[in-house]
Amino acid sequence: MSGGVIEKRIRWAGFLISSGLLVQLATLMWTHPLSFMAFLLVGCPLMLSGVLLFLYSLVSDSGSGLRSKQPGS
Amino acid sequence: MLNLTVIELAFIALTLLLCIVVALRADFTRARGGKILTFVVLFLLPLLALWTGYSEQMERAKSTRFCLSCHVMADYGKSLYIDDKSYIPAVHFQNNRIPRGEACYTCHTDYTMFGTVHSKWRGLRHVYVQYLGTIPKPEDIKLYEVFNNRECLHCHAGARSFLETSAHHKTPDMLSLVKANKLSCMSSNCHDTVHDVATMKDGKFWKEPE
Repeated sequence: MSGGVIEKRIRWAGFLISSGLLVQLATLMWTHPLSFMAFLLVGCPLMLSGVLLFLYSLVSDSGSGLRSKQPGS
Repeated sequence: MLNLTVIELAFIALTLLLCIVVALRADFTRARGGKILTFVVLFLLPLLALWTGYSEQMERAKSTRFCLSCHVMADYGKSLYIDDKSYIPAVHFQNNRIPRGEACYTCHTDYTMFGTVHSKWRGLRHVYVQYLGTIPKPEDIKLYEVFNNRECLHCHAGARSFLETSAHHKTPDMLSLVKANKLSCMSSNCHDTVHDVATMKDGKFWKEPE
């Protein structure tokens, strides 16, 4: 696994989380059922998908590390 | 309350700023310090921010302003100000027996997102009806289930006035039936004037002093 791919995933994770945080900030400016729905249906999924993508980038990184330590590889 | 919100907003804004920095400078994750910082910024802080936002949204959902933000509920908000002691919600609201800022939630604790999964679906349906469906007349809105005595008893149970009033001892087992939710406080012809938005239009209204 090249470092470039991992960095690309981390970058995407950062953008997804940032978008989710932006939605969260916007919804907190307004006390209304629609802002609650926007937080739950847009903000939360964006942030959670970003965090999951980041965790996946960590797992894929450690997987490549294990493979590189195998003898003869 | 306001200060807490400002701190929450500042924390979310700081997390956002750090996330943008990490997203733009992902190359510094090659160093050990960068990896730790990335873990904090892309995992710990977002989860904390998410929890902060969720708690804040849930708190706001309890507010009277939140419930009355749909136009169809305006008459129910108005019924809290009717100058008539037979209106149970109005008497509670005007005499500070319930917190005015969370008036609806205090007596409807199992409504929409605070209730069961079924209630949460109903809440979603309410939003759908409000914006895409046919909105019913305020007087046609009814509770899905009989009002649970639990909502009255979480304040009145054990209160001397509640235990000793003669009206609550018309029969020997009256209090135990009320506590077991087998005799409704609302629909047993005792405290049956609630919001009654259809009949209150010609009534007098209390004006809250500024």
